[in-house]
Amino acid sequence: MTLVNERARLLANRQVGPNLFIMTLSSPRIAATIEPGQFVHMTIPAFEAHILRRPFSVYARDVEAGTVEVLYQTVGAGTAHLATLLPETGAGYESELIGPVGRGWRVPQGCARALLVGGGVGAAPLFMLAESLADANIPFEVVLGAQTQAAHVCRDRYDALVAQAQACADAAPRYATDDGSFGRAGFCTGLVEEALAEAEAAGRPYEYVAVCGPEPLMKIASAMAADHGVFCEVSLERRMACGIGACLSCVVDTVDGKKRSCVDGPVFEAEKVVW
Amino acid sequence: MGNLAVNLGGLAMKNPVTVASGTFAAGREYHDFFDVSQLGAVTTKGVSLHGWEGNASPRIAETPSGMLNSIGLQNPGVEHLKECDLPWLADVGATTIVNVSGHSFDEYVQVIEALEEAPVDAYEVNISCPNVDAGGMTIGCKASSVEEVVRRCREATARPLIVKLTPNVTDITEIARAAESAGADAISLINTLLGMAIDARRRRPVLARGVGGLSGPAVKPVALRMVWECHNAVSVPLLGMGGICTGEDAVEFMLAGATAVAVGTANFMNPRAAIEVVRGIEAYCDEQRVDNVTELIGALTW
Repeated sequence: MTLVNERARLLANRQVGPNLFIMTLSSPRIAATIEPGQFVHMTIPAFEAHILRRPFSVYARDVEAGTVEVLYQTVGAGTAHLATLLPETGAGYESELIGPVGRGWRVPQGCARALLVGGGVGAAPLFMLAESLADANIPFEVVLGAQTQAAHVCRDRYDALVAQAQACADAAPRYATDDGSFGRAGFCTGLVEEALAEAEAAGRPYEYVAVCGPEPLMKIASAMAADHGVFCEVSLERRMACGIGACLSCVVDTVDGKKRSCVDGPVFEAEKVVW
Repeated sequence: MGNLAVNLGGLAMKNPVTVASGTFAAGREYHDFFDVSQLGAVTTKGVSLHGWEGNASPRIAETPSGMLNSIGLQNPGVEHLKECDLPWLADVGATTIVNVSGHSFDEYVQVIEALEEAPVDAYEVNISCPNVDAGGMTIGCKASSVEEVVRRCREATARPLIVKLTPNVTDITEIARAAESAGADAISLINTLLGMAIDARRRRPVLARGVGGLSGPAVKPVALRMVWECHNAVSVPLLGMGGICTGEDAVEFMLAGATAVAVGTANFMNPRAAIEVVRGIEAYCDEQRVDNVTELIGALTW
């Protein structure tokens, strides 16, 4: 896959939840080629003393409009600064995006049923996967966890997608919140175990589980999948410098040795990861 | 257009720009962004005899106008370089400098011996990495061990031998003289400055190893000063590096005494940085009516 470094205009940047923002960037070449689970490596506009790019998962893309959408949480200086940029004012902002980077989700050939598990902003990198499963008419269920009801910012899109997907009859997304304000109270891992057990009991077990979110969630959910004998992938995040596989900053420990999360990942087979 | 070719201690370069070892792998990752054979040379990631795992994560931290790294010379070993990377570099027509690392004097020599039949245009002896417990900077901080390792590498090859120095010394000219007297054809400087980042809330170092090497625009003034000092101290040519992002940065290093320059951390900021530095030097020469880029070497005036 050829990488491009594309000049991208920040078209929109709005708050959608507690410390949660969605930005829209014009990036036609990346929008046209990005696959579910891949990411962009982005310069933060007007932030020159901070020299490194930041990796961002892509939530959605619009090939015709030539845009990509990124859901991000303010976690450090870079994202906090990004959240202050108002593209509607002044001359606007330009960034550079390297993309599409990395190996995305790899649903096994002939997969008959899939389970997607997202925690917090981890719901976003799974959405394009959900769309592709819906397009391929593969039945799938969704389990999403967040701290509060207000932090479930991907809910509307998932609800709408699942309602329309023919393969997903009667399987509304399941939600959990840490504070009990919406859906099941507590971490979403309880819902994951239930979904796995129900599918098995119904004689239609899952054949693929994709997990994205905080590392403890990925570790626990992938262990549950392993217990049920289901192939599982996780999307890992590390501090990153080059974003193209050269610098070896972002390595992940795996049973096959250290692998680069940028280009050997970010999606890894869960059983290969040394947690 | 002026002539950009330079000769770095016997290494013919079509322009004065290479990349800093460790920031460019062996070039392939950057080939989507530009033809890496257009560089004066590609300098490969440090290679040891049997490959090293490198350090624990986190391995990097962003700092004001710079970054710390503590990769620890992770590499798959010299055989992998010979099988996978050097043929590719030869194929695309790149001029190739191989950065040689070792835990012992013997290992440096063994790596060079393993490469003598391979398509390599020059060696860069890494006695300056701050992120390993043996070899690297532990050798490069003492004139006596610098002399010893350079003399032994010199005996192992007739190819151009560049020796890369650490800035983490009291007097870099003493180390430069030691490398020159032991047979170095050129000296590259600077490797990273030993530094530290701390997470106040967690009361922990940011890097798993605690300390790491500082690079990026933040180190440029230190690097320029050291290139200038070495230019006044030795007669072998210098390969200058430290925070170079633009053609004008590169010209500053040449004015301070560098014959060639390397682009390092800027490759992470912009994957086309190295080729843009070549174009920037070209533009400077056109604008300043410099017919031959070698006119700039040490041309600093008061």
